[in-house]
Formats: sequence, C-alpha cells, structure tokens
Amino acid sequence: MSAYNSLTYNASLCVGCTECMKACALAKTGDATNLDQSRIKIVPAQEPEKFEAAICRQCGDAKCVMNCPSGALTKNGANGVIDWNADTCVNCLLCTVGCVYGGITYEASVGHVAKCDTCGGDPACVKVCKSGALGYVTTASIYNDYGDKEDMFVPGLAACQGCNSELMIRHVMRKLGRNVVVAAPPGCIPGMGTVGYNGKAGAKIPIFHPLLTNTASMLSGIKRTFERQGRDVTALALAGDGGTSDVGFQSLSGAAERGERILFICFDNEGYMNTGMQASGATSFGSWTSTTPVGDKLHGKSTDAKNLPMVMMMHNAAYVATASSVFMEDFYQKLDKAVEASKHGFAYLHLYAPCPSGWRFPAGLTIDICRLMVESNFVTLWDYTPGGGLEFTHPVDTPKPLDSYLKAIGKYRHLANEQVDRIKKLLEDRLSMLKRFQKA
Amino acid sequence: MTALAKHKKMIVVDGNEAAARGVALARPDVVAVYPITPQSSLVEALSAMIAGGELDAELMNVEGEHSVLSALQGAALAGARTYTATSGPGLAFMFEPYIRQPGMRLPMVMSLVTRDTLTPQCVWGGHQDAMLVREVGWIHMYCETVQEILDTVIMGYKVAEHPEIMLPVNVNHDGNYLSYGVTSCELPDQALVDDFLGPKSVNWHVALDPERPMGVDPLVGNAGGVGPSMFVRYRKGQTEAMAHSLEVISEVHADWAKRTGRHHAPLIEEYRLDDAELALVTLGSMTGAAKDCCDMLRDSGRKVGIIKVKTFRPFPALAMRNALSKVKAVGVVDRSVSYGWNSGPVYQDTLTVIGKFGLKLPAIPFIAGLAGADITVAHFERAFDLVAKGEAPPGPVWLNEKD
Amino acid sequence: MQSCTHLIVGASHAGLTALSAIRMNEPDAAIVMATREDHLPYSPTVLPYVVSGRSDPAKVTLRSESFFDENKVSYLRKATLLALDTGANTAHFPDGRSIRYEKLLLATGASPNIPPIPGLKDVPFHVLRTMDDALGLKKAMVKGKRALVLGAGLIGTHAAENMAEAGMKVTIVEARGQVLPGYFDHQASGIIETAFKAHGIELVFGRAVKEIKSGQALLENGDAIPFDLLLVATGVRPDLSYLQGSGVKSDGGILVDELQRTNISNVWAAGDCARARLFQSEATGIAGILPIAVEQGRIVGQAMTDDAGVRNFPGSVSLNTYTFFGQQAISVGAGEAPESETSLCVDEDRNTYLKIVIKDGRLMGAAAVNQALDPGILWQLVLRRTDLSEVREAFLADPKTISRMLMSRIWR
Ligand SMILES: Cc1cc2nc3c(=O)[nH]c(=O)nc-3n(C[C@H](O)[C@H](O)[C@H](O)COP(=O)(O)OP(=O)(O)OC[C@H]3O[C@@H](n4cnc5c(N)ncnc54)[C@H](O)[C@@H]3O)c2cc1C
Ligand code: SF4
Repeated sequence: MSAYNSLTYNASLCVGCTECMKACALAKTGDATNLDQSRIKIVPAQEPEKFEAAICRQCGDAKCVMNCPSGALTKNGANGVIDWNADTCVNCLLCTVGCVYGGITYEASVGHVAKCDTCGGDPACVKVCKSGALGYVTTASIYNDYGDKEDMFVPGLAACQGCNSELMIRHVMRKLGRNVVVAAPPGCIPGMGTVGYNGKAGAKIPIFHPLLTNTASMLSGIKRTFERQGRDVTALALAGDGGTSDVGFQSLSGAAERGERILFICFDNEGYMNTGMQASGATSFGSWTSTTPVGDKLHGKSTDAKNLPMVMMMHNAAYVATASSVFMEDFYQKLDKAVEASKHGFAYLHLYAPCPSGWRFPAGLTIDICRLMVESNFVTLWDYTPGGGLEFTHPVDTPKPLDSYLKAIGKYRHLANEQVDRIKKLLEDRLSMLKRFQKA
Repeated sequence: MTALAKHKKMIVVDGNEAAARGVALARPDVVAVYPITPQSSLVEALSAMIAGGELDAELMNVEGEHSVLSALQGAALAGARTYTATSGPGLAFMFEPYIRQPGMRLPMVMSLVTRDTLTPQCVWGGHQDAMLVREVGWIHMYCETVQEILDTVIMGYKVAEHPEIMLPVNVNHDGNYLSYGVTSCELPDQALVDDFLGPKSVNWHVALDPERPMGVDPLVGNAGGVGPSMFVRYRKGQTEAMAHSLEVISEVHADWAKRTGRHHAPLIEEYRLDDAELALVTLGSMTGAAKDCCDMLRDSGRKVGIIKVKTFRPFPALAMRNALSKVKAVGVVDRSVSYGWNSGPVYQDTLTVIGKFGLKLPAIPFIAGLAGADITVAHFERAFDLVAKGEAPPGPVWLNEKD
Repeated sequence: MQSCTHLIVGASHAGLTALSAIRMNEPDAAIVMATREDHLPYSPTVLPYVVSGRSDPAKVTLRSESFFDENKVSYLRKATLLALDTGANTAHFPDGRSIRYEKLLLATGASPNIPPIPGLKDVPFHVLRTMDDALGLKKAMVKGKRALVLGAGLIGTHAAENMAEAGMKVTIVEARGQVLPGYFDHQASGIIETAFKAHGIELVFGRAVKEIKSGQALLENGDAIPFDLLLVATGVRPDLSYLQGSGVKSDGGILVDELQRTNISNVWAAGDCARARLFQSEATGIAGILPIAVEQGRIVGQAMTDDAGVRNFPGSVSLNTYTFFGQQAISVGAGEAPESETSLCVDEDRNTYLKIVIKDGRLMGAAAVNQALDPGILWQLVLRRTDLSEVREAFLADPKTISRMLMSRIWR
C-alpha cells in the first residue's frame, strides 16, 4: 500500500480571503467568479475573523466510493485521489450522503457533483494561499520511498516506550543504508542495544561504541582511512546531547574545525536520560533533572542550555541544521543535504528528541510534544551553509503559547513565573540572534 | 631475504628524529599528532616528512592527545597502520582511549618520550609517565640508544601486528637524553624493512567496514547470564597474548639481528654478568653510564655487572630470574617511584621475581634521574658500594638527593 | 466440499463493503462471494439509468473481474443460496454445491413486493430490481406506448420519469396521497409532482388498484386505466426463503444485534435483508437504502474480523437524494417529530423548499428541494446529536454553510 500526498488546512492561519476558492474555480472552469465552482469551501467560523473549510480528504476507505451505484468514483491507487468520472456519473448524489466532510458536493450552477482532484498533484489553491493556512504535504514520498527499505536495527531494541530517538535512528538508517560506519557513543542509543549486548547484535551495519568523549575523532580516523583507500563510506555519529555538548565537545569542535567529512547527528533529549536523567550542558533552563532537583534552595537547572547548533554554525561547518521528527519531510531534506555536505566537510544535524521518561510526559505524546516544541518556538528549525547563510525551514510567526509547551511537560511543573519569563526572554533573544544570520 | 646491507647508510640524528625515521620506514597509513615537550621535534620531523612527500601517510593534526589516539583507533578499525608519540601530561590526557586500545586488540606503535609527571611543574625526563600506565595492557619496551629507538620502532610493528599478539606497543625513550641526544646511527634500507614487516593486516579480527559489518565493542557483562563469562574470555585472551608476546619479541629481535647485524637484547640484557657477584638493574638511557661504571669497576677488579631491562611489560620474569641467579646481591635503579611501596616499580618487579623463584639475595632500591637529573658514573659507583654492603635501607636511596 | 473462512452471500453494496473491510484486516483469509446473478456486481440503484439509457450496462459494474483476482476472492455467479445448515456451518447452492464457512454474511438485499391484486399474476408485468429486469423493461419500452406504474416510491418515480422521457404516456397510481411518501412531506412532494405533471405524467393518488385485466387496471372508484406496459413498484421485501430450517431468526428481515450479528454467533446480516435498529425510534426496521447498506456492510466486515475499532451500528437514519427532471431533492432524518420546532422556507418563484426540524436544540431532520445541502454532514449532525442552540438562527438561515463550519470545527 502506498502513502499519498495531501492537502492540509490550518484553520488558525486562515484569513478568509477566499483566494483559494477563486483559484480553484478558475482552475476548474476558467472562470474565477462563480465560487460555487470551487472544490474547497471556506466558511466563516463562529468566532469573528476566523474561518473553517470543507474539502475532500481523499479518504483511504472512502464512503463516497462505496456509496456510488455507478462506479463513477474510484480511489486512484497511484496518487490516492478519489477520481470522479463524468461519463458514468448519474448525478444521484448518494456520494454526498456518504461524505461527512462536505468534500463532494452538488451545486445547481455546477450541474453535477464536484470534488477536489488536487490539480494533478499541484493544487492551485495552495499556491495562492498567502497566510500559510493551506499546505500540500508530500511527506508520503518518504513512506513510499523508504517504507520498503530495510530497517538496519533489530526489532525489540530496549528503548523506553515512546522513545523519539529509536524512531529517528531507524529513519536515519533506512535512508542511509549499509554503506556507513556508525558511532553510537554511550547513552540511550547504544543503551537500547544497538551496538549489541552480551553476544547479541543490535544492527546490521558496522556500528560501535566510541567513548563518550571521542566520537568525532574516532570517526575522523575512520573516514580518513577510507578516503585513503579510495572508498566513499559515510562516517556517521548517532550521539546524545551529553556526548555532544559536554565531554564530547572538544573532539567535536576539533573535527568540525578540521572539516572532517563526517555526518554528526545529535539527538538532543536535554540530558543524560539513559543513566537516570542527569543534567547536561544541553538541559534547558529550569528543567528538573536528578542533578538539578527542585527544593527550597534549588529550582531546577539554573543556567541556560548551550546552543549546540549555533555553536556548530560558528565553526563554519559545511552544513548545520536543526530538525524535528514531526516535520519529517524537512528532516529528510536536511538529512539529504547533510549527507551530501559530509562528502566535502563537516555536517551537523541537531535533532530535538523529547524524552517521555526523563521529561515526564505520557509516552503517547512524544510526537505532540515534538510538534508543540516547534510551534511554540521553544526550538527553531533552520539550516545553514557557509555560502547560503541561515534559512528558517519552518518559521512559526504566530507561535502557540509557551505555557502550553511548558505545562505539557513534567520537568517544568515547578516553574515560577520569573523562571518562565526568563525562558521567554531567552527564546526571543535566541530568535533575534538567529535572524541575524538569515540569508539577505 | 637480504643479508647484511652492503652499503650502510649512516645518519646523524637525535632520538626523536631516529624514532621518526623508524616510523617512516614502517610506512604507517595514518599519523596523528599533537605536540608536547619533549616529544615535539619527533612529530615535527614526521610532519615534515609527510609534507615533503617522503612519507606517504595521512597526517591528522588534531586538537589534543585524547583525539590523537581516538582518531588512530578509528583508523585502525578501518584497516590503517597507525603511529603517534606523546609524553607526560599528553599521555595522561590520552588515558581514556589509551586504556581501551589493548582491549580492542588494536595493534599500533606509540613512542613515549618519557617525562616526569606534574607536580611540581616539570618538562624534563623521567620514567614516571610511562610507569603510571604499566598495568594497562600495552607492551612497553625501553630503549637505551638512538639506534635502538629506530630499530625498536620498526620491530614494534612486527610484534604488535603479529597475529597471535594483536596488541599495542609503546617504544619508550627518555626525554632529554635520548630525545635530544645526537649521535650517528644506521638507517636501514626501505626494502629491508618492507620485507621484514611483510604485508600489514591490522583489522582482520575487529573492523568497522561496510563490507564486514559488525558491532564493535558491544556491552558485555552484568551479574548473570553469559555476559561475565564472555568478558572473562576477552580478558583471558588478552593476558595470554601479553604473556606470549615475550616469545614473539625475542623472535622478532633475532630476525632483525639476522637482517641488520644489530643485536639488541629483546627482554633483559646481561652486561658482564657471567662471573659477577653484584649487579645493578637499569632501564633506558641510564644503562650507558651504568655500563661505563661497570667497566671502570671491572678494571679495578670488582666483579660487577649490569642487568638492563628492555621489555618491561610484559615483565620477562624468567629472563630476570636467569640474570639474578648469577649474582649474590642486586641494586635496582628506578627513574620513577611507586608511591605505595616507597620504592621504584622496577624494584618491585625485581622483588617479585626473587620471591616467585625463591632466590636468596638482597636487593637494594635506588631512585635516580628524576626531572631530568643526570645519573653519572659516580652515582652508579655509589650504588655498587651500597649493594656490596648488602644492607637494605628502610626506604629507597635517592641518588640525586644531595647533588 | 469447498470451504472458506468468510462466505459472503450477495454481491452488492452491503456485501462489497464488508468484503473490503475483511480484506483490510485479513489479507490472506479465504473469502468466497456468492451471488445469484450471472453478472459482475452492480447496484440496483443504477438500474433506472440503465433503463433510460444514461448508463451503459457494461460500465456500471462496481467491481471488475481483476478486483476479485487481486484480492484473492472467489466470486461465484449463479449461486443462489437455497438453504443453510448453521449447525454444520454449510451453505447449500444449486446443482448440489455446498460451501463450508467459518463466518457467514447474508447480504441478499430485497426483492420487489408483489401486491395481491386480483388478476395481476395473470398478466405480464415488470419489476425493477435486477439488471435483467432493467434490460427487459428497456426492451419493452421500445414497443410500449402507455405505461402504468404501481407505486410512487423511488423505483416507481424513477422508472416513470425514464418512460416519460422515452415518449411514453405514463400514469402512476399510488395508494397514499403523494409521491415519495415517507421521505418528503406534501409540500415538497408537491414540487416534484408539479414537475411530473409538466412532463405529462399522470398521477393518481389515494386509490388502490382493485383488479388487473389484460390491458387495463381497474381502480377501486371504478376508473379504468389502460396500459400496454405495467411496472409494479409497490415496495420491496427480502426474500428469505433460504432461512427455512436454519434457525436464523427473522421478522420480515433478518434480526440482528448492534454489530449486525444474527442469533447464530457466526452469521451476520447487512443491508436490505436485515432488520436493524433505527436511530430515531425504539423500533427496528429495514432501511432499504444504499448508504445504510454500506454502513452496515462496513460494521459487519470489521466484526467478522474482530477489528477492535468496530463501533456499534447507531441505527438507520432515513436518507434520500432524489433527482428528477434535472431538479434535486434531499432528505435527511425525520420530517416531523413530536415536540419539535420546524422551520420551513419555501420560495415558489425559485421553486425551492427547505425544511428543518429541530428538537431540544438538536437536528432531527432536514429536507430540501433545489437547494444545495451536504446530506453527509447533516447525517453526522443528527447522529452526533450536535447541540445547535448557539448557532440556531444562522443554521436555519443557511444550513449548508453553518453545517460545514460545524463539521470543520467538530470532526475535522
Ligand atoms: C430501482 C432502484 C432504485 C434505487 N434508488 C435508490 C436511491 O436512490 N437511494 C438509495 O439509497 N437506495 C436506492 N435503492 C435501494 C438500494 O439499491 C438498496 O438499498 C441497496 O442496493 C441495498 O444493498 P444490499 O447490498 O443490501 O442489497 P442488494 O443491492 O439488493 O443486493 C443483493 C445481492 O444479493 C444477491 N442475492 C439475493 N438473493 C440471493 C440468494 N438467495 N443467493 C445468492 N445471492 C442473492 C443479489 O443478486 C445481489 O447481488 C434503489 C433500489 C432500486 C431497485
Ligand atoms: S452523483 Fe455521481 S459520483 Fe456521486 S454517487 Fe451518484 S453516480 Fe456516483
């Protein structure tokens, strides 16, 4: 089974300009004036200045198709669109009974039922949407391209329930394949058994435990040797934030300075989560950890997190990016760029990896937390190349309230207002600093 | 097989450059460097050779000794023959990857240009740095002369990469005396060295290579299950290889002697010992002065000899027993201390051999040459005098204490 | 004897929807689909369009031969279920063929209800339920000049329109007082009737046919209506003769629980043959409409494969979309309810009609003629008993827009 691209609508961003409807009517009839002809219907919401939308979801198990007595509606296996056949349609309107979304509708001025056909994969409505409310998500290609690729890790790795890191190392390795040497410095990633445990293998690829301190330098030696042998092998680190920002930082900095042809991915779960949730240099301000506990005298971590991706940008690395498992397309694009950059220089990917066990949130919420983290601007997704400067890949202009993020996570439960204010200030400062590196 | 080279090529070099020349002849693939006194001129010489194309190796100028050895471990896992050199604090900083190298059974040669350790602040010779890592699982060989440095660096690779050994080798030479002491020495032919070392194979047993995927250094242990016994198998194999290396070291020295005509005692050198009654045990460059003293005393009719330890780890207990059993009393001159025993490490090992084999002879501990101090003929004469008296003092005799 | 995991009898909406749901959950289970037809699956609903010529009989198949191959389903034609041995889990078909099943779905739909009118069985007449019926009717229309249609339900009105469009003189006799009783009230059906009359169709209401003689029908008031083509469209009822002795309980339709299971634990029923719960009443009944057949088919498919996501059938809601002479009528839910408020909006100039029934702030039903609505959304609003009090006025004024807004907010 394939996954398909799809249209998305974010009601909170919609300004109700109806440009999409005009564009749709124009695309379908050559005339933008009769909005009944639009397959997307923007309607006013109950709240002033807010809007809602009705549009075909191209359902996987579509009831309109099942309801059609004439075989005029079919699910297109290639692109996932529900195709409507004007020749066989008898205009009985039963499809409109089946659709609970107002996705296929009848208007007298149109004269037949009509539905979105995604304009052949290049929807006209999305192109004219200025507010960003409409999107066309092509993440499906990831599933289609990589779904059948071999998982390079064994099943049953001993990660916690809801572990973002396990999810993401599997993604990374599906994409990278076998022509790699993988360093997994001590932490959750080897801790879950990827390098092996008492004679049992954890992966199908060359993988090793470096020291917590020397990931980047061991990979340097490996890569240089393969280069000397004339072999193109990706030297990859799947490291935690402790091994990256604390004891591992010297070797990381050295390798970046030398422009070693390495791809270094940091899974930032803000601390030493494998060994009992101790604080690292990447732990955010105010966080409860087992070494920054909360009591009368201490109120969680008293200093801000070291901002590793920014530090790596200052190394003039060939490629630096931040990513989140919620924006997979963005992540995959960055992974591509990082692999490419690592052929001629040091590439650094910083992956925000919320940890249900250490941060204290329900395991089922990992992805929601990932999303909230980005959408509240707690972290920012961007990438950087020395020539091209910094680009925000998922700018969030109207962020969700920071409180909604902090409140969702147990390690911030104790935060006093002043602490929250400090975090707010920090985030603002960081964002404005990042903006200074933006492409002109 | 080449017999004696017809035209000897002589060079005038100090110990550091001699080591560099030896390294170049061994053709390492990857050399990682970080400078430190008194090793610096060694890595400078190597860098220059690589820069000039004399040595075709990957030069990695990394940001510290920790990364030096880490990079080389990575390189070795990918199949590279590797080299570096360090001293004192550099070795201390390198300690974390250093203790790991023998466990991974990764062969390499590293020169330790020995230096006394902090504190007080000190940049001069002494064996304290090397002695601190004597129990980690590296093979340690100490050189007496510039020529021996050059030769031993080359022989070191043959020992390290021997398929029954697969362990890293430290070839140690004294900071100052040997590192900067210039003499003439013979430079072996490249063809001779190539033939001597043969084809290299450093990662046949453990590798990071997509063509041979494996998990390197997985977790092994825990209280129950197969873990601990698996760990024992690793450890036991390592200690057995270490013990076996004494034999290999001897064979390699014999082979080298046959090809070059230069005989270096592989484990223990007995100097004028056969009819001796007293002996001093020495290590490294001090042996030169000790031999001079011995010759002088012999001229005056005293039956003295020298026992030079070349291979200190693994400790050549049998060879030491053979040497000790020839004399009635012995003194041991250490260039470092063992804090716990209030004496020197070589002395402790000597006592162990005496005890283990039930020898009956007094042994006197001396400590000399710390922080670059001279150990002169006069110092050794005093030592022989004290050994002759046969009274073991409660603590060591600090030969430079009143200089 | 052939055996399978899932035996589905009936190859129309209920059976096909169940089939998809089963395959989704059990990619490899052995499935047999048996139908009495010699055709690939088609929908009875499309038959009026086959009659009118709008639809090419070859192009209305709901599934192709290759669909069954790809889905590894054995599709048996001319396999009329004759009898069931639920003790031996065996279904019996003509020519001595029997199939042993682990789980059985009865989705045999309904058949035309033939009223006991004296003389009827002695004259040739048409019904419209199967493809062969449709083709036969179509052929008869070529020769026929005067058609008489008994019954002004969906089938009768559809067929009457087709025949009128084909140039025949058509009369519809309906015992009740209007067309499409049960779906539309008098006023709405009035609009429909006007269109029928405008197209020359004669409508006779409130009169039953007393007797049929060759070439004419005698009404109870003594009127005689001549015809050379007679179509009987007086409702449907399932033909459950195969249940005899099976132990499966029925009462006009097969009795089922909220997951469409019969009293026999490995036998389910769905669609026009099943008597299931009704949403807006305590009673049970046969819905007799396509969307409900689909709904029940999906539930059965899930139930037969122990899908944890299966939800109880909420009960049938009356749903109807009806197009006539280029106009549209839609009805969802109840047209009236005790203690409800009804909003009615009729625009005779524009020939539109809109009725909304609300009770306790909840939508009970809506009906519209020539006024666009999204019946699927309204159906959800009924099922969810969505509270409309906050948007009541706006909803009554513009149910299409407001229901879209509510959908986008509530179940987007
Ligand atoms: C002319 C016409 C117009 C209609 N218009 C509409 C409309 O506009 N809107 C609407 O909602 N509904 C309409 N309907 C009703 C709708 O078609 C049915 O509700 C729907 O088809 C029911 O689906 P089902 O699968 O339950 O049964 P059916 O569609 O009746 O299918 C029954 C299947 O079972 C098979 N079968 C029957 N008995 C046996 C047996 N003993 N052994 C083996 N196979 C058997 C049949 O061959 C058939 O394949 C219309 C019906 C007709 C006839
Ligand atoms: S209106 Fe057309 S597409 Fe919709 S159900 Fe009827 S025949 Fe199918």
